[in-house]
Amino acid sequence: MWTYVVRRLLYNVPVYLGIIALMMAMLRVRNPVMMFLGKSATEEQIADLTERIGLARPFFFQYLEFLGQVFTLNFSQESWQQPGKTVGDLLSDAIVPTLWITVPSLIITAGIAIAVGLVSAFFRGRALDKSLVLVATLGMCISYLVYIIFGQYFGAYKLNDALAGEGPFDGKLFAIESWEPGFPGNWIHFCLLPVIINVVVAMGYDTRFYRAVMVEESTRDYITTAKAKGASKRKVMFVHMLKNAMIPIITRVMTTLPFLFVGSVLLESYFNIPGMGRELLTAINELDFPVTQTFTAVFAALFIVTNVLTDVLYALVDPRVRLS
Amino acid sequence: MILKALRSRGARKFRQNRLAMFALGVISVYGVVALLVALGGIRLEETFERVSRNSIPGAWGSQTSEKRVNDAEEYLEEIESALDNEEHLEYRFAERKLVDLPVEELVERVEESWEIWDELADVSNVDEHPELLVKLDEVEERIDALFAPLEGVDGWMYAFRTYLGTDRQGRSITVRAVYSIKLAIQVGFIVALAATLLGTLLGAAAGFFGGWIDGLVIWLYSTFSAIPVLIMLMVLVTIFIDTPYEGTLVPLYVSMMLTFWIGPCRVIRGEVLKLKELEYVQAATSIGFGRFYILVKHLIPNTSHLMFINFSLLFIGAIKNEVILTFLNLGVKNQPSWGTMINQSRQEVINGFFWQIGAATALMFGLVWAFNIVSDALQDSFDPKHVS
Repeated sequence: MWTYVVRRLLYNVPVYLGIIALMMAMLRVRNPVMMFLGKSATEEQIADLTERIGLARPFFFQYLEFLGQVFTLNFSQESWQQPGKTVGDLLSDAIVPTLWITVPSLIITAGIAIAVGLVSAFFRGRALDKSLVLVATLGMCISYLVYIIFGQYFGAYKLNDALAGEGPFDGKLFAIESWEPGFPGNWIHFCLLPVIINVVVAMGYDTRFYRAVMVEESTRDYITTAKAKGASKRKVMFVHMLKNAMIPIITRVMTTLPFLFVGSVLLESYFNIPGMGRELLTAINELDFPVTQTFTAVFAALFIVTNVLTDVLYALVDPRVRLS
Repeated sequence: MILKALRSRGARKFRQNRLAMFALGVISVYGVVALLVALGGIRLEETFERVSRNSIPGAWGSQTSEKRVNDAEEYLEEIESALDNEEHLEYRFAERKLVDLPVEELVERVEESWEIWDELADVSNVDEHPELLVKLDEVEERIDALFAPLEGVDGWMYAFRTYLGTDRQGRSITVRAVYSIKLAIQVGFIVALAATLLGTLLGAAAGFFGGWIDGLVIWLYSTFSAIPVLIMLMVLVTIFIDTPYEGTLVPLYVSMMLTFWIGPCRVIRGEVLKLKELEYVQAATSIGFGRFYILVKHLIPNTSHLMFINFSLLFIGAIKNEVILTFLNLGVKNQPSWGTMINQSRQEVINGFFWQIGAATALMFGLVWAFNIVSDALQDSFDPKHVS
């Protein structure tokens, strides 16, 4: 197994180099120096700043330097837009609020969606199944943004009006925006509403996926066998089917793991949460190359590692799968 | 190729799916509207034209008497100053113009309206005084009478423009929402077509030729897919900032095409890998057809169902991401789109005004729903084993 893991990781080295090259190249199409200095800058100032932030050297040198930093896990470059802060500080500060939102969202969504998928597959073709599928499909047709806007309106503004100063947080159960650390009090106040919105949005896609998985499993021969030997329908569903459906479920959950790190750009910028997504949006808009690059490098590493891990896990769970 | 696909067994199954046929009908209606808009049914200038006072609710909405008093005041002020500056002939809301009377007559009428309005001005709760509500109705009627009555086509056009109310700048929500259909169809069609074609070409070449081409394509899509979609879109769109293309549709096309080709590429590569082992390919080879000929003539046409499915899915992706990019201030500027409308309605929603966000969401909902249904039906008919 270890040889497999090492080989897979080695295969991914060119991919990793490619990701970083792609991102660095895309960023460097624009020249940040002009934006930093404004239109009235003199030639001298421009040349000076270009030199100082390291953009004067050929792309290949910048690339090698950045790769060196990544492979030695050196994240101490200074952010261009927030002087005095290193990229490492910025990202490690931003990851906290992001994880407080994405991890609960993933757990709740997966839990509910798997349950609904099972129920839907159990009643396949009947009214309950049809209406669940219909609701899931309809929910997918509305923009994420609309969920956020209405979520904030009803969950924060309207609910605060309705509570009229009663209850926890001086009657402001959900904050309209911003974030402060703390659990469970502050988490409920600042994060629960975004989590609910996230869950509602993801529910449609996940329910449909898990239902499809369960439906596919339910047509397998071993289900017929189990039924033939007289196992109750409930036992077939929850013992035989759910166990076998674990493989696609694990794959699905694993592939979403690296995205926990990104957070939701929309949600965070709308609720003004100082998380990864908002930080990235600012970095991209303000041409803060070190932050965007480092983020990409870290994300890509996570992405590749979870991909390899998924395959290993696959083999551990399913004896039919051989790693080769 | 398309004709062949239409006669296949999958296509017959698809045609028997009534819901999918209905959804196709819905898409065609959107398509026809988009075409009409593109042919000049609604000009871009019309989407910026003031058609009434600001934030007027649609046909079946109601507004507070406070706002009505306020609106009446603004109407009277505007008309008065137009009369003072002798610009009353230009004062108009789309088809709605001032009535053709001598200036003195109009001035007098405005004066009379002011007199009634003054009684309402300083009352905080007009709703609680039935006699004042009557006055308010009267002021509104008098203001209405200052405008020439609309007849025939003009009347219908004006009713259409104000049917779903106006936004915060007094622009017609109906006109803007309908104009956006064209934009959505345009973005969806071009992005989905370009990304599907790019993905198909790369995927088919990779699967068929194998070797270093396959390695290269796999490397390419592994690289692109390891960057989160939205981040990729944002970075690609920002490349166009400060170029003449900023705020146009070009950044959207390019960014989405370069991000979305991965899906079709993977699927088509897998399918071609499977197909090229089949007997008919061997038969074609043994007859002496060239490899390129077999790829273009036999293999790619046999993946057309996957191309349709991917096209349909990417269409949805393009429409949805246009909205998201617009919200992040990276989308189209200076023309209406559902994204611009939803983005603008953030402030309105806080004030409890849902007409703009409602109109944009409803129209977008219809189109996305139809494509969702069509994608599902295509999947069921052509690729039933696939788990989505």
